[in-house]
Amino acid sequence: MDDYGFWGSWLAVGLAAVGTFIWRFAGVLLASKIPAQSPLMDWVNTMAYAMVAGVLMLMLVHPTGILAASGLDDRLLGLVTGVGAMMLTKRIILSLLCGILMFAASLHLF
Amino acid sequence: MSISETVALTAPQMRRIAAIDALRAPAYALGATMAGFATIAREAGFDVWMAVTTSALVWGMPGQVAFASLYSAGASLFIIFFAVTLANMRMLLMVVSAADMMHLHMHKLPLWRRVILMQCLAITSWAHLAVAETTYPRHLLLPYFQGFSLTLYASGMLGTVFGYFLPDMVPPDLLQIIIFITPIYIFLLIATARQKANRLAVAFGGILCPVFYPVAGEWSILLAGVMGGTLAIGYARFIAKWHLEERR
Repeated sequence: MDDYGFWGSWLAVGLAAVGTFIWRFAGVLLASKIPAQSPLMDWVNTMAYAMVAGVLMLMLVHPTGILAASGLDDRLLGLVTGVGAMMLTKRIILSLLCGILMFAASLHLF
Repeated sequence: MSISETVALTAPQMRRIAAIDALRAPAYALGATMAGFATIAREAGFDVWMAVTTSALVWGMPGQVAFASLYSAGASLFIIFFAVTLANMRMLLMVVSAADMMHLHMHKLPLWRRVILMQCLAITSWAHLAVAETTYPRHLLLPYFQGFSLTLYASGMLGTVFGYFLPDMVPPDLLQIIIFITPIYIFLLIATARQKANRLAVAFGGILCPVFYPVAGEWSILLAGVMGGTLAIGYARFIAKWHLEERR
């Protein structure tokens, strides 16, 4: 794509970097203001967990790029298998393998 | 190892243990994820320097993917800035939460060092910090994070370079499976968070976000995070009355 030209492309990279950096910087400033073990910090934590879970589910349910070529059923089957294995065994690498293998099997068998 | 056995560890020892932890699985998974980003970036028209610089400075997958897809669509610079900013907003909460977990205030670091430290924060290192918190004493969590996140960072950069040049050599089916690893890995980590309120937040956020997406687009992450997190803490505090104070 030559839509942007050399400087335009690098300006885009710079803007993407700034767009992320402002949150990290704001986070550093905010972190020193919120007392540890306060209800506010607990709330920040649950929101962080919910947001990260949301991002991950978005990658799985509405993926972009190469993953979009697989079926939603394949991906959800892999996820459910991994979470199920984790609940049973409490061993992360083993559960990860179960999930990934189920996804691979589902891609090729069903 | 129990907490009592780990208290005697020195900071360099802790960094080494953390680096080895990272090399057990997460570093490869993240390298593969960044390789996935590099293939998208190459298709979008990035040269290898742009791809590596983006990985290094943005260092947050959803923002990077949003950037590459908008770039390939020829979107305006303003739209690119806006979309990446929105996609990476969770960094704010993750940084606050990570600083709290590491007890960063104890270490009295100058602002620039705290900023550099948090530049290395990724979902994987944040999720692992929550696991390390249950194993290691609080004064060692900062060195743990340093060792872990620097290892991840290095593998992410390597992954970006490899991914840029190698996609022709890896069959697409295999690449799909490789890219599937990171989201599942992190999901397993956060779904087994020690605090019930956080596990509940994972369930709420995970369900709400894809539901909101068709209507809210990129805003769905923010919406699901705030609503899911608020519902979870509200339930934990006022309805179930779980003892959040006893978390450490």
